[in-house]
Parts: sequence; structure tokens; C-alpha cells
Amino acid sequence: MEKKLGVYICGGCSIGEGLNLEKLSLVATKEYKIPICKTHPALCGEEGVGTIKTGMEAEGVNTIVIAACSGRVKYDVFDFGPANIVERVNIREQVVWSHDWTKQVKVKTKDAEGKDVVKEETQPNDDTQMLAEDYLRMGIVKAQKTNQVDPYLIENVERNILVIGGGITGLTAAIEAAKTGYEVTIVEKAAQLGGYAAKQRKQIPTKAPYTNLEPNSIQEKIKEATSNSKVTIKLNTEIARISGGPGQFDVSFKPAGTQSKWDIPPKKKEEESKDKPAEAAEKPAEEPLELPADQIKCEDILTSDPDAERFGAVVVAAGGRPSDPSQFEHLGFGKFANVITNTMLEENAAKGKIVRPSDGKEARTVAFIQSPGLNGDDSDFPYASSVTSMISLKQANYLTEDYSDGKAYIFYKHMRTPGHYENFYKSAQNNPGIFLSRGEVKSVSENADKGLTVEVHDTIMGEKIAVDVDMVVLAAGMTPETQFEPVINLAYRQGPAFRDLELFDGYADSNYICFPYETRRTGIYTAGNVRQTMTNGECVEDATGAALKAIQCLESTNRGMAVHPRSGDMSFPEFFFQRCTQCKRCTEECPFGALDDDEKGTPKPNPTRCRRCGTCMGACPERIVSFKNYHIDMIGSMVKAINVPDEDEEKYRIVAFVCENDALPALDMAGLHKLKYSADIRFIPVRCLGSVNTIWIADAMSKGNDGVLLIGCKYGDDYQCHFVKGSELCNKRMDNVAETLGKLRLEPVRVQQIQFSIDEYEKIPEVIGKFVEVIEGVGFNPMKGF
Amino acid sequence: MAEGKLIKPDLDFVKRVMSSGGESLKKCYQCATCSVVCNVTPDDKPFPRKEMIHAQWGLKEKLFGNPDIWICHQCSDCTAYCPRGAKPGEVLGAIRKVSIEHYSFPSFMGRMVGDPKFLIFLLAVPILLFAAVAPYVGHLIPAQYLEGHTPGYLHEVITSTEPIVYAEKFMPVPFIDTIFICAALFACLGFFIGVVKYWKDLTAFGGKPKGSILNAAGATITDFLAHKNFKKCEVTVDRAKSHLFVFYGFVGLAITTTWAIFYLYGLHRESPYPLYDPMKILGNASAVALLLGILWVISNRSKNAEKAGKGSYYDWLFISVVLTIVVTGILSEVLRLLGISLLAYPVYFIHLVAIFFLFAYAPFSKMAHMVYRTTALVYAKSIGREKEN
Repeated sequence: MEKKLGVYICGGCSIGEGLNLEKLSLVATKEYKIPICKTHPALCGEEGVGTIKTGMEAEGVNTIVIAACSGRVKYDVFDFGPANIVERVNIREQVVWSHDWTKQVKVKTKDAEGKDVVKEETQPNDDTQMLAEDYLRMGIVKAQKTNQVDPYLIENVERNILVIGGGITGLTAAIEAAKTGYEVTIVEKAAQLGGYAAKQRKQIPTKAPYTNLEPNSIQEKIKEATSNSKVTIKLNTEIARISGGPGQFDVSFKPAGTQSKWDIPPKKKEEESKDKPAEAAEKPAEEPLELPADQIKCEDILTSDPDAERFGAVVVAAGGRPSDPSQFEHLGFGKFANVITNTMLEENAAKGKIVRPSDGKEARTVAFIQSPGLNGDDSDFPYASSVTSMISLKQANYLTEDYSDGKAYIFYKHMRTPGHYENFYKSAQNNPGIFLSRGEVKSVSENADKGLTVEVHDTIMGEKIAVDVDMVVLAAGMTPETQFEPVINLAYRQGPAFRDLELFDGYADSNYICFPYETRRTGIYTAGNVRQTMTNGECVEDATGAALKAIQCLESTNRGMAVHPRSGDMSFPEFFFQRCTQCKRCTEECPFGALDDDEKGTPKPNPTRCRRCGTCMGACPERIVSFKNYHIDMIGSMVKAINVPDEDEEKYRIVAFVCENDALPALDMAGLHKLKYSADIRFIPVRCLGSVNTIWIADAMSKGNDGVLLIGCKYGDDYQCHFVKGSELCNKRMDNVAETLGKLRLEPVRVQQIQFSIDEYEKIPEVIGKFVEVIEGVGFNPMKGF
Repeated sequence: MAEGKLIKPDLDFVKRVMSSGGESLKKCYQCATCSVVCNVTPDDKPFPRKEMIHAQWGLKEKLFGNPDIWICHQCSDCTAYCPRGAKPGEVLGAIRKVSIEHYSFPSFMGRMVGDPKFLIFLLAVPILLFAAVAPYVGHLIPAQYLEGHTPGYLHEVITSTEPIVYAEKFMPVPFIDTIFICAALFACLGFFIGVVKYWKDLTAFGGKPKGSILNAAGATITDFLAHKNFKKCEVTVDRAKSHLFVFYGFVGLAITTTWAIFYLYGLHRESPYPLYDPMKILGNASAVALLLGILWVISNRSKNAEKAGKGSYYDWLFISVVLTIVVTGILSEVLRLLGISLLAYPVYFIHLVAIFFLFAYAPFSKMAHMVYRTTALVYAKSIGREKEN
């Protein structure tokens, strides 16, 4: 396609008052020789859009540069279809709304008597004008370097879903997906469906008024799933391996508890040390165990299983295992027969009246312990949560149901009953047989008749107490299955399991608040207790959400679109393999394991796994990775398009690479609030700081810019990076940058990375102001003018 | 067992408090708003927060032996401000009721008075007692066979047009006095045993009194006369005034009764006495005070029901008995003066039954608060437990 550029400048929303639009047009017409450049007082109006359409129809404009408001607004108005490229230049939020239009200048004149007088005069602010002109230059260059995107389409996207786990979550996910018309296969390693839900007497309320226990709904779910013709159930079965990617997951099944040649082979020792990034080498969850000699030889991960079944997306509903509280010795679990966990009590209660395990005698008085409470420790049992609080309240109800004189003592550090669950707490509290107190359990001791005495300090009664009980129940939590097994057994170069499990106690890494269900493996979604401890009702809701995500994934893959978080993005990374040096950096750094290198180390891209963040592009030292509409040359050329004033003009220039996800919206908000900041800084949006290639920094410095600022998301354990590792990887690369700057005799402080979150827009002037001060402190770039 | 004190939560106690007007007990979540808004509680270990948790956990020993439940005057400021609808005022009222039951002698009487199921039996006792008098005074025999003996055939008495004289023609004084002296002795014995047990529990729980009990008693009675603590209530501020009327009404009637005994047995003057007699004036004035007071109590209770709670069966039984006594008492006098014997005698009968109810059952009804509260406050003063201000 031959590109024909048209530049359209809007004068509305104060742009026309703050800037000299005629002068601005000269950038397009004189500097870039673009004949079609129009200004309009309100480009987003019917007449303004009409002007653009006339240009397209009459003069064949197909690449439209719109200098107006932020690209994050009015995108529907300025949508001219997929055949045309639209580039938005933000001269509203980033220019006229955040900078002064005029400035006071002292002018020497002669008065009537011919004497020299200094007068203050208001003049247009040429700094603001220069800023707008630079943005227009960059916009034009970007439009010139952008190419039409051809989506990556695969043949026969498999439109069925694999659900791992046949408990309440798995069954619900399968039923919900089947209801919308998709084929589903449930794989369950046990001999029957239902999981832990099938071992419950009753379930925690799921609907208003949330005060009474409900009959267990699991049998209905099992019936619904088994009678649905779109649901296939594989019992006693496990996953040997999953290879491929969204739309084309090839899954090898095996009988539960057996070995298969399609198991993921253990990594070789030497490979392990050089193959993994240093921090990853320490991750125990990811390291496949060293297998004994009689082990079946497993096929390489790149070999494909001819008998594998193909699926479009995967929902992991593997649940968890009850955690073992025997580490809390003072509670006597494992030592005294009548100290049990909530899971054990539930199974006991499902069978009949609540009895003591030691002799089957009726247990009429039971202490429920919520927190181990040793030595003033405030924490609850591992993996405890609002769910364990609710379970204790539920089981206390069983006791008063079974025995009219039943007494349930609940000792807690925290009673968590959020939202509607407060109603259940209130109804339990109102039950005369349920006795609640905050307290620190000091000891559990056994008496002659196998009864127990529980000593509790710091109670709400204001004293140290002890009670005699028939049984003690510990509110142990559920450990996610992924803490023990990879479950998904991916034939991925980065390993068979989810990554960074140890950071989140075995839960798959995801940003639960912004992106529930997401994992760091595209097309694989977690739901239910493997993701977070949940009640039956919450599992059902969660499973429905995950099923929807799985459907969204295979429908997006079918259209060649990214799923998340760049939903709908059709670009994908392309590799110029002739220049690849097999350094494996892209394979290792991809936060989503999208690349599997072969034995030589040449990356094998899996575009359907890719999230289009460009981390590979930022990583590649040979710069062989590019997107059609986002590449090294494009951003490099934009940097070079900035008009850097000579040293004697005494104006600094700073280039800022800004994360599109958080920092860029924050800039828009700062503009919206008319917050003012330095006009010496030029922002260039990037998909993620992970995509910033160090060459751009070199470009900026060698062009005479005085500093480079990288504004991205927070990283670390409580990261906010939409691509999980992008801003963290960028920060690691900064060390190399500083070294390079040192060699060029440039001060390392000239390049800095800032962690910024979307709600901090008020701090924009302060953050920028500080960096400008730093740059002013070190002075002009000595390479200016070379 | 190392340090923790073995507690034995009593589920029946919890259920009893809940069924005695404290059904909101378990709603408390221990925020202590109640103790903060209470104007009566001492600053140290304030109530009613701790009473709420002790009652929830069925730790009755901590409640019975604790004078705090009687320092509470059920202002209901706590109930009005409780964010959880736990109504601490009502709950403490219920605990006091269970406490009265606990110390009652004989104990089955405590259970019967507190339970509406037994109301009919309790009423039957005085009705049968007074009815049993009839054959002895000739109410069952026509007058012509009595040879001038009075009172005579009941049917003739209540239809007669002669001046009405209750003692002479209906219920001779010796019978009334016998019954009431027995009832009073029964009540006194009940109170005596109850208070002895209670005092033992108080001292066991809070230690021996520090100062002179006489001084404490004097100070307590001085407080009572002015209703000093009761006046600190905010939400139900008028209750102190209405109670003051009832209180002085009773005091006046007690004096009147003593005076009447003096007239009858000291001066051998038979009733009825003329309206200008000073004893009669005091009696009538007291009756009016009591009537106004008890009507005011009822009006206050319905006015405050939303904020302070509706009150329990126990409360309303007591109020009804007092109301019945004062209304039938006044009516008896008025009907007597008007000479409407057909109504006067039955009303007088009801009056006697109601008085019996009040006296004989005093140690088991809310009337007992008079004794237990006094005991508790005397004890509290003697150990220095009161609000400083």
C-alpha cells in the first residue's frame, strides 16, 4: 500500500488560543513537505470529520495524522476503518492544557523623551509552541514508519475447552461453557466427580438473606455435567503434557498416577544452569525432579505427540489440598485423636451426627480454633481466609443442629465475614449455642477420658480462660494444588509449571484485582481454590468468569487478536532470523513463555501465546524483533525527529518513554486537571517499558538530548505492570545503560526510571520537576551539536 | 492447667436470659458504645459491655455476684445508641429478672412468677383464699337465718341499698389481716433468705465491705429519696419523675396503712373513716400520686418503646398489678361513697386479690428490685464502687 499522508490540526478546546496553528502547519507543509495539511476549529465535529473524509475521498489520503486531543478519547469519532492508518498527536492534554500559553518578557524601549525603559510585555510562549511542533514531527514520522498490520491467523482454531479438575469449579466451568455452545472436556484424576464439595454436609449461603445454610448443590452439578452431551468426562486421568498455544493446545492424557513418555523431561544439569536466569534457577516449584534411572525416557518438549487431543483453551480448576497444621505443636494435632481439622469435621458431619474420632461418642462441646496464636503471633493458619471463618461458623451450626445442648466455642484472632457473609455471621452469633471470643490459644491438653482442655488468653471476657471440650477443630486452609504439582505440565521452554509460584505461596501469578483468572500462560485460566480460597458459591461465580475468559481467548485467537491486556491488537512480533545470534534473551525474558528455543537456541515464536508487549523487542541486542506498527526504527526515528536547540539557546531537551498502560493515562489526567510542568520534556508512548530497547536511549543521547526518563509501572512483589515483568526487566537493563553512559563520559543520572501508578497523576509536575532539576544540575549534554 | 481459669458456660442461662426479655443478647459484638454512653456506670470496669459478654457466654456467677447489674437503672441510653440492636438495657433487665429468680425462696416461685404460663395459678391462690372466707362469714346463707349476724348472704349484701361498709358487711378485718400477715411473712422470709444468699455472693465476688454498712445504707437511702442516679438518664429522662411519683405514692400508702393499724388496734376506731381525717387525706393523696405515676410510667414506656425497647412480660406484669391496685382502690372508695354496692363489692374483691398478688409474690416479681437494688447499692457504696462526679 502506498501511503498518502494528510495532517489535520484541531483548534478546539483552547488549542487555537494557546498555539499559533499557522506556524504549526509549517512543520507539515515545509519541513515534511506534506501538501495536505488542514486546520479546523473543531475537528471532532461533523464538519471537521467531513474535512478528513473529503481528503480521503478526493485526494486519496490513507494515513491520517490528527493533531488534537489524546488518542485515548474520541477514538470512535476518528475511526476511519482498518484500511487506513490513524496517528493521533496529543497537543491538547500534553501541550495546551499543561503549559502556559504566554510568558512575561522584559523589553527595552525608549520612552517619549528618548530614555531607555524596561517594560514587561506579554508574549506568546515559544516553549509551548516548540513542544507542539516536536509532537507533530514525531507523529508524522511515526505515521510514515507505521505499516498495515496483517493478523496472525492459524488454520482450524480448535473451539473446545479443557477443564482440569472435576470439583464444583470445574463442573461449573464446563456446564457454563457448554451452555454457550462449546465442547468441553473435564479431566479429573480421582475416580469420581465432586472433589471436596462432595464431602460437605451443607454449603455456606449463596443467596439472600445469607443467614441460613443451604443444601449442598454438588450432586445437581454432577448430574447436570454428566447429562450434558457437550461435556466429556475423563475420570482417573491426568495431564502428561500440554504443548502448543491458545487455539492449538495439544494435550497428552495419561492414567492418574502413572508415568508416560509424554511427561515433561527433566532438564539436564548443565542446561539448567545456563538456560535459566539466575533468579529462576532457585525456584523449586519449577524445577522438575531428578528422576530415577528406571524412569521412562521422556520425549523432548518440541516433539509432538501424534495421539494428543487438541483444545482451544484451558481452565485450571485443580483446587487444593487441606493444609497440615501439625507444625503447631501446642494444639496437639496428630498427637491427640480428638484434635482434627475443619476438613475432617466436614467429612465426619456429612456422614451423620458429629462424633469424636477417638471413640465415636457424641461430641456435644467443640472448640473451633481460628488462629494458632502462639507467642502473640497475630496470623491465622496458613491459607486461612474469610472462607475458614465461614466454615467455622457453618460447622458450629452443625453442632447446634445435631444436639439441642450442643456448644460450639469459636476462638479467633480475626473473624472475616465480608460483604453479605456478615448476615451469616450475625445469624450464627444469634445462636445461643455458639460462643464467640477473640483469643490467643495457649494450649490444648488431653484429659483422662480423651476429652480436651483448651486454654485461651487475651479473651474478650478480659481474662485467661480454659474450657473443657469433647473435640477441637482447627481452621486449616486449603493449599493450592499448584504448590505440589505443576498440574498443567506445559511443554514450554520456561518449564512445565506456572512461574514465580513461590512469590504467592503456590498460587499462580496474576494481578487478582485488575485481571482475575489470568495467569502468565496465555489461554490458561485458573478458577476456584487453585486461585484463591473460596466458598462453593464463590467457586461457581469464579468458574463462570474463567469459562468466559477461555471463550474470549479462543474467539480472539480465531481472529488473530491478542487476548489480554492488549485485547484486539492484531500486531505480533516478527523475527529476522538471519541476524539471530541465539543468545536466548527473548526466550528467557518473555514473561509469558511465548518462545521455545530449539537445541541451538534459535527462538521458536508461538504468536498465539504472545501478548504483544514487545519485551522480546526490548531484550534483543541484535534488534531483530519488530511489529508492523511498532519497531526499533520507528521509535528511533521519532527520537531523532525532536528538534534539539543549540547550547546557546539555553534550552534543555528531555525524552521520556512512557508506559501506555498507567503512566500515559496519568499524563492525560494531569492535563485534564490543568497541572503545569516543564515544556522541555517530550513524551513517547511505549507498549511497556519492557519493550524499550537501549538503542533508543543511545539515539536520544547522541542527538544531544540532555536526559532520558522512563516512566513505567511499579514492579516487585506488588507489581502493577500489565505485562508482569516489563518494568522490572527495564530496570535491570538500566544497569547496563548506566555503564554505557559512563564509558561515554556522561553522567548516569541523565537516565532514570520512575515507577508510576495511574492514580498518582497529581505527582506528575513534581516528578518531572525533580528530573528537570537533576538535568539542570548536571548541565547540558556535551554531545550536543555533534 | 497453667493460668487459664476453667469456665463452664451455661447454655440454659443464656437461653433463659434470651427468653426473659433479653432476646437481643447475642447481637452484641463488644464495641463498648454502651459503656461509653452510660451516665451511671463507674469509670473502672464499666458496664454493660462486660455483662453482655458474660451473659453471652453463660457465665452467670460473674453476673449474679456483681452489684453492677443493679447499679444499672435501665435508662436505655445504651439501647438507643447500640449500633447492633443488642439492647443492653433490656438484656440487663432480663439478667436482673433471672437473678431475682435465682435468689428466690422457694425457688419454684421464682420460675412461676417469671413465666406467663403460671399466671392463672398465681391468681387462683388469692381468689380461692378470699373466696374461702365466704362460708365462715355467712355469705352462703340467707340473712333471715343469721339472726342479725352480719355480713349475711352475698347476694343480699351486694344488692342492698344500705351504706357500704367493706369490713363489716363483706370481708371482716380479722380474715383480711390473717391472710395478709401470712402473705407478708411468706414474702419477708423469701426476701430474707434471698438477700442473705445474695450478700454472700456479693462479698464472695467483690470482697468484704470496706466502710460502715450503716453509713452506706444511709447514703443509699438519701440517693433514693431524690432519685439521684435515676435522673442521670438521657433517653428516658422522664422515667425518673414518673418513678418518683410511684415511689412516694407507695411510701404514702405504707404510712397510711401503718396509721390505719394504729387507729384500728390502738384506738379501736373502726373504718370507714371520714374524708377529712388526716390519715384519709394522706391515703387519698398517695393513691392519686400512685395513679398519676403509674399512668406516666405506661405513657413513657410506650413513648420510648422504639429507642428503649418494649419491655418484657416481667415488667408489664408488675406495672399491671400496681395499676390494678390503685385503680380498684380508688374505685372502691368512690363507689362506696356513691353507694353503688353492686359494683363496689366486686371491685373491692379484685383490689384485695391484687394486693395479695403484690405482697405475697414480692420476692419473685419485679417488686423485688426494691430489696435487691438496695442491697446491691449499699454493698457497692461500701466498697466504693460508684460513679465519681
